[in-house]
Amino acid sequence: MPLRVKVRNAESGATVDMELEGENTVEEIIEGAAGYWEKDAGAYVLRRGKKLLRGQQTVADCGLVNQDELELIPDPEGG
Amino acid sequence: MSKAIRPGESDEDRLDRSRRIQWIDLERLSDSHCLVVGAGALGNEVVKNLVLSGVKRITLVDMDRVVRSNLNRCVFFSEDDTASDNFKSEIVAQRAGELSPGAEITPLVARIEDIDLNALARMDVAFGCLDNVAARLHLNAHTYHLGIPYVDGGTYGMAGRVQVVIPPSTPCLQCGMNRTHFKVMERRYSCTGNEASFYEPKMPAEITTTSVVAAIQVREAVKIMSGREMDCIKHILHYNGLTNASENLELSIDPQCPMHSSDNR
Repeated sequence: MPLRVKVRNAESGATVDMELEGENTVEEIIEGAAGYWEKDAGAYVLRRGKKLLRGQQTVADCGLVNQDELELIPDPEGG
Repeated sequence: MSKAIRPGESDEDRLDRSRRIQWIDLERLSDSHCLVVGAGALGNEVVKNLVLSGVKRITLVDMDRVVRSNLNRCVFFSEDDTASDNFKSEIVAQRAGELSPGAEITPLVARIEDIDLNALARMDVAFGCLDNVAARLHLNAHTYHLGIPYVDGGTYGMAGRVQVVIPPSTPCLQCGMNRTHFKVMERRYSCTGNEASFYEPKMPAEITTTSVVAAIQVREAVKIMSGREMDCIKHILHYNGLTNASENLELSIDPQCPMHSSDNR
């Protein structure tokens, strides 16, 4: 059964609800949210509370539950 | 007879105020050899902070020359350097040396991929002050393999990050990367079969965020060199210059990461 999470855009504060299956990966969530906000091509990471989620982890691996809040953060590349 | 002190004596010691922070091991800092990869904005600030902290031996790697667009955030560069087409690493080494007579700063005009790995093995701490994922992954892999602590910094406009990698106990840079990082890397090096093209995006950058990120990088390295690894960032600090909020975010080791497979070490 799909679950629904809220993803927050760390740069703008905007949020979007996403419907996920257990086999969806963190990378898919990142790309889905970045695409929705038409963000610049760049590297992004996803956090849940104090934890950064690894890209290949699935929704089930991460233990995400209904109504969880995630945050999409740009991963700065410049030096 | 006990040693007598003189009035004003403490003002003659350039590291007197540092000595008053008792956990900083100035002797170890002085004996340590740091590798700084990248002599751009972060590299300028990191080297400045290292020499002022009392680090005496630094190897600085960068292949680029100074250009005018560097001058909004690079403390050691001047208009003359752009006119003279000077190499970044050589200028930083020369001017940082003036801040701390006796410091040995060795500039290497090269890509990190071209550096002899035996030279890396002698380093106590490595700093990533780079502007691309590929070079970061290269440095991450070699420092992890050699067991050298690696402090990586990154900026994008007012956003920054610092990651501290202490092999073998912490996750490495690659553990925290995902498909978006690799897409960025692929875009930079696209190959059409007959020719390879290099795309170098121009990223927003300013000095205040650069200064904050570089200061945190050096502070973490000072902890490592002083035996205070337990107080280092676990594992990635994200900084938002617009709100001045910073947060330490935990990352777990990726069991699929090549750095952490049992046969790699």
